[in-house]
Amino acid sequence: MPTIVACFKWVVDEVYIRRGAGGALDFSSVDYKIGEYDRNAIEEAVRQRDAGGGGSVIGVTVGTPESAKGVKDGLSRGMDQAFFVSDPSFKDLEPSQTAAILAEVIRSRIPQYDLIACGEGSSDLYAQQVGPRLAELLGIPCVCFVQKLSIEGGRLRAERRVEDGVEVVEAPLPALVTVLPDINTPRIPGVRDTLMAGKKPVITVKRDELTGTFEGALKTAAMTASSLERTGEKLAADSAGIARFVDSLRKSGVIK
Amino acid sequence: MAGIWIVAETREQAFELLGAGRLLAPEMETTVTAVVAKGSASPQECIARGADEVLLLAELAPGEPFGAQLPVIEQEARASSPHAILFSATARGKETAARLSARLAAGLCSACTALAFDKATGSIVMERLAYGGAAIQKLAASAAPVVITIPPRSFEPAEAMDGRQGKTRELPAPPPSAVKIVERKPKEKVSKDITEARVIVCAGRGFDKKEDIALARRLADALGGELGATRPLTEELHWLPEDLCIGLSGVQVKPELYVGLGVSGQVQHMTGVRGAKVVCSVNRDENAPIFALSDFGIVGDLYEVVPKILEKLET
Ligand SMILES: Cc1cc2nc3c(=O)[nH]c(=O)nc-3n(C[C@H](O)[C@H](O)[C@H](O)COP(=O)(O)OP(=O)(O)OC[C@H]3O[C@@H](n4cnc5c(N)ncnc54)[C@H](O)[C@@H]3O)c2cc1C
Ligand SMILES: Nc1ncnc2c1ncn2[C@@H]1O[C@H](COP(=O)(O)O)[C@@H](O)[C@H]1O
Repeated sequence: MPTIVACFKWVVDEVYIRRGAGGALDFSSVDYKIGEYDRNAIEEAVRQRDAGGGGSVIGVTVGTPESAKGVKDGLSRGMDQAFFVSDPSFKDLEPSQTAAILAEVIRSRIPQYDLIACGEGSSDLYAQQVGPRLAELLGIPCVCFVQKLSIEGGRLRAERRVEDGVEVVEAPLPALVTVLPDINTPRIPGVRDTLMAGKKPVITVKRDELTGTFEGALKTAAMTASSLERTGEKLAADSAGIARFVDSLRKSGVIK
Repeated sequence: MAGIWIVAETREQAFELLGAGRLLAPEMETTVTAVVAKGSASPQECIARGADEVLLLAELAPGEPFGAQLPVIEQEARASSPHAILFSATARGKETAARLSARLAAGLCSACTALAFDKATGSIVMERLAYGGAAIQKLAASAAPVVITIPPRSFEPAEAMDGRQGKTRELPAPPPSAVKIVERKPKEKVSKDITEARVIVCAGRGFDKKEDIALARRLADALGGELGATRPLTEELHWLPEDLCIGLSGVQVKPELYVGLGVSGQVQHMTGVRGAKVVCSVNRDENAPIFALSDFGIVGDLYEVVPKILEKLET
């Protein structure tokens, strides 16, 4: 019966980010969510647990104390317990720092595991680094961009998508995978799931309980809003609208 | 010895990465080293395009993935401490770059879209997208090495120059990897490169079934353009090949005209068409975000509107 670790991040929902004065990012009315692809990671961990006839799924997330909501959200998606690695300074961590923190927590607090599942990329940074970095820090095999996965006899078999097709690979466990969104359809937690989530164990790990220094390697010199706005003329679907649409196409000069 | 390194698996990657590397090397008054897979770009080609040194990766045994080269690349990098190591942001490139970064305790700028050396501060400055494309993140690296991945076709490939000279060295074969490839399923057909298309008609989730995409194709044909798609169509439904996915995790396009049909206009997709001259759309939801991100658009059912547009185009 497998023990599976699912790594997920509680992120700003980018839909609510506004362009503030002078191109600054305006976070004043944002909401938060579990990253889209991290939901696939959690779902896959849960499915592999169930396919393995039991076992457990341990969620791990690194974030500020405000991410507590994300821990409960994660638990409502079928995980059995969670490690919440939290500190006010864990706000804009670089992927290298996040991977180092995750590595220490997993190494020191999860003595035995078969698989670690990460998303293809986080929804905010989409750096696609934390998974493979974590595998290296833990010294375990890593298979990224997995669209199909099975575990049997202490090994995994995965279909990994690359530019020129699909590579079917095998690796010994424990190993780490990062999953693509089409590997599964994440469940939408119901009321019961949410209620149950409140009863599941959460182990909070504080900054001073960790020994690493977790220094960053790069400096974010600026983070500015990009503007995609255009004139946004809306036309009706009637003959006048169609005529104007086709006229505008012609005026754009690309068609005759 | 320091220098700028590029690590390439194919000829195209090597030329583009050399092009990117040459943006840095002269400014930093340093050399360029090309680490290339055998059978991709030849050492002569790499040298003509700006490499001062070529390190040839040994041929892999059958079943060994590209990532197996990691210990060899790591060892060479430790010995010569490059300032920067550039990879292509392909599936294998991204994974290998991230793993190498962890081993070297290096920073990694993923999907870098702009790159320069700032003489004043002595650091490499890089740009990338964040928050799905809603933001541009500017990163600075002062410590070496910094690892950088570059989305294919973001930089001009390096041109060959006359009279260049350089050294070539063969690297040892890597030890066997824990991950083994047991089967390869090559893609049946590599689809068209839409990054250079003048007109793109993009199909979104607003299409009900695969066969209906024919309607988008008809419009593309009428406008003399190519078909593109949003990620749900290529990734989740597999109605169209992945190479046609436009956006953050797909390709960046810069057509003169982009027509979005049944596309909601999420930032992760629209960031891929930021370079389009004219953006227009058809969506039945008047509150769809794509309207604000279009020059003009029709609020209506694409199944009714597109045939009418086709009819009008013929007159
Ligand atoms: C990290 C990350 C990276 C991503 N990268 C990409 C990427 O590179 N590219 C990409 O495309 N997406 C990407 N996505 C996904 C993206 O967020 C959106 O989910 C996706 O672009 C939505 O595709 P869509 O507009 O086709 O579908 P939907 O959002 O479902 O929109 C369908 C639209 O069609 C309209 N519609 C329905 N029926 C009709 C009809 N009959 N006539 C007219 N209109 C109709 C609806 O009103 C709706 O607006 C990424 C997501 C994440 C989290
Ligand atoms: N703060 C975090 N806590 C836990 N897991 C994370 C965190 N950040 C990233 N991850 C995991 O690493 C993956 C890749 O993240 P990234 O490298 O930021 O794109 C995500 O999909 C998550 O599975």
